[in-house]
Amino acid sequence: MSIQEQYRSRAKELLGEGSVKMVIGYGVGTTATRRRPIFITSPDETDRLVLDASCRTNLAGYLLREGLLADQKSIAVFLLPDGVRALNILAAESQLATAQIVVLGFEIKGEEVKPLEGTAAGDFSAIIAERKEQRKAQPSHEMAVKLEEMTPAERFAFWEKEFSRCIKCYACRAACPMCWCRRCVVDNNQPQWVNTSSHTLGNLEWNLVRAFHLAGRCVECGNCSEACPVNIPLHLLNGRMTDEVLTAFDHYPGADEQQEPVLASFRKDDPETFIL
Amino acid sequence: MTKILYSDDLTTCFSTWRKEGIMTFGPVQEAGNSGFREVQDEKELDMNLILTSRTLKELFFPRTEPMLSYSIGKQQIETSEFLPSEKPCIIFGARPCDAAGMAMDDELFNWDYRDEYWFRRRSRSVIMTIACSTSDDFCMCTSLGLGPDSAKGSDVLLRPLASGKGWLVEELTEKGDKALQSIASLLKEGTEEAAPTAEVPVLFDLEACTTWLADPENFESHFWKEISERCIGCGTCTYLCPTCHCFDIQDEGDTYEGIRRKNWDSCSFQLFTMHTSGHNPRNTQSARWRQRIMHKFNYFSLKFSVNSCTGCGRCTRECPVDMGVRETLQAISTLQK
Repeated sequence: MSIQEQYRSRAKELLGEGSVKMVIGYGVGTTATRRRPIFITSPDETDRLVLDASCRTNLAGYLLREGLLADQKSIAVFLLPDGVRALNILAAESQLATAQIVVLGFEIKGEEVKPLEGTAAGDFSAIIAERKEQRKAQPSHEMAVKLEEMTPAERFAFWEKEFSRCIKCYACRAACPMCWCRRCVVDNNQPQWVNTSSHTLGNLEWNLVRAFHLAGRCVECGNCSEACPVNIPLHLLNGRMTDEVLTAFDHYPGADEQQEPVLASFRKDDPETFIL
Repeated sequence: MTKILYSDDLTTCFSTWRKEGIMTFGPVQEAGNSGFREVQDEKELDMNLILTSRTLKELFFPRTEPMLSYSIGKQQIETSEFLPSEKPCIIFGARPCDAAGMAMDDELFNWDYRDEYWFRRRSRSVIMTIACSTSDDFCMCTSLGLGPDSAKGSDVLLRPLASGKGWLVEELTEKGDKALQSIASLLKEGTEEAAPTAEVPVLFDLEACTTWLADPENFESHFWKEISERCIGCGTCTYLCPTCHCFDIQDEGDTYEGIRRKNWDSCSFQLFTMHTSGHNPRNTQSARWRQRIMHKFNYFSLKFSVNSCTGCGRCTRECPVDMGVRETLQAISTLQK
């Protein structure tokens, strides 16, 4: 049985026995290689589910749809390891209870999709630990290394140029499972803390505010860069924050749901090398 | 006999215009993203793009622009307006869908109020459109009553030669004619054939869609929730739409001194219709998606007798969750009444 068939019948079983009210997964998209999020509520519709190497969007954010989990019923969701990490963070930040979530975990290696054992968020700690070691051993992106080699002025010029294309559509925010605020700081207009204009200052303000809010919380799923219609490499910025928390606090965001938010917790032995 | 502009003459063409003090614009690719901006010569242009990722509207309706500056003193209030310059511009290499979008928005910006910011830029610009000989999986101009060689909104239409060495030139407006006069010596008489235009399949029955949308009974249909369930409420489809024209006015500064700006806004955003009372008449994403479709294919056509969609396909092409006008209208056209 192909992995897609395997997961379809898992979904059918879960819906059929009534242990979940909905399965959030991937369906066929507009073109042969595009996949779109779909929401299945009947066991008869599980044939619409697709699982292949094009299924890369992190679906964890959909769990926070207003009222979706309010009835205490469970939901199954297709998640890559990054998605499970997002789930752990959302639980740690009291946005959902993992007991309500059935994880249909999978990973993509090259063009091959592999099943991951487990159903609860906590069942995936081994692969997450493995990912942490990989992440520590090598930077996430070639360009990240180039950025480190730049002088601060060159780096600033790089980001200024990238941000100059920002059109303030906020697709990065909308696509990010970690951007769960009901009202974002940029949408507060009394006072208007952040300029809404997409001029240089406004774009720097927005993108830097978002990067800071993601420090130690970003799971590097890539949803933001994928969603950005003007191709700003946001993953580089957020990845840099991950480097920082990994090095300074050995903090790998979303390792488990007991993990304390790195910027909202304090330990006596926290390094204070950055305090002047 | 028709007039032909050969690609080899483009350099001279651009330098002639620039010497006359005309600003030249065209499609440019930068960091994997493309749009229109001013270019010094034709070498900066990317002529292989089927369609730029950002639209032509940015040249007439920038994503942010200053409207006026104000300063309030004890005795007086001073304001000064920032109006766009009237320096002539030639936009070379627009696509028919984008050009059509500008003509559609002319109606809107001259309806209850004449928007000088839009019209100053419109009247100073000549749009030289290149007919499409290729299309991609998302193009749907033919479904909207337009086509890969539509002339709507263009001042000059260029049809690529079958040889790939240039374009057949058709002037469509007086403005277009004037722009061609200055390069008259570069326009050669010839009998070369044009390349066939792109074959863009018709994807839905537009009339069936507009009829369904016009029926008030369908306003509360369950269809809207189902079709937009995965919408994440970003502004991509609206900001990359050649006809979406909503804007917000913001004062940057303080009570006494500052700049009033006109910024793009989007009906996809929750904040778009939020009242000061806290009530939001479009409080769900499905209501917001319905608004976008209704505006384009019902309200706009009621007012201006034209739908405000050109079939460029960007809303689907660039949507992070693979939604778009295409899927919605395809679904509507197959619905049973």
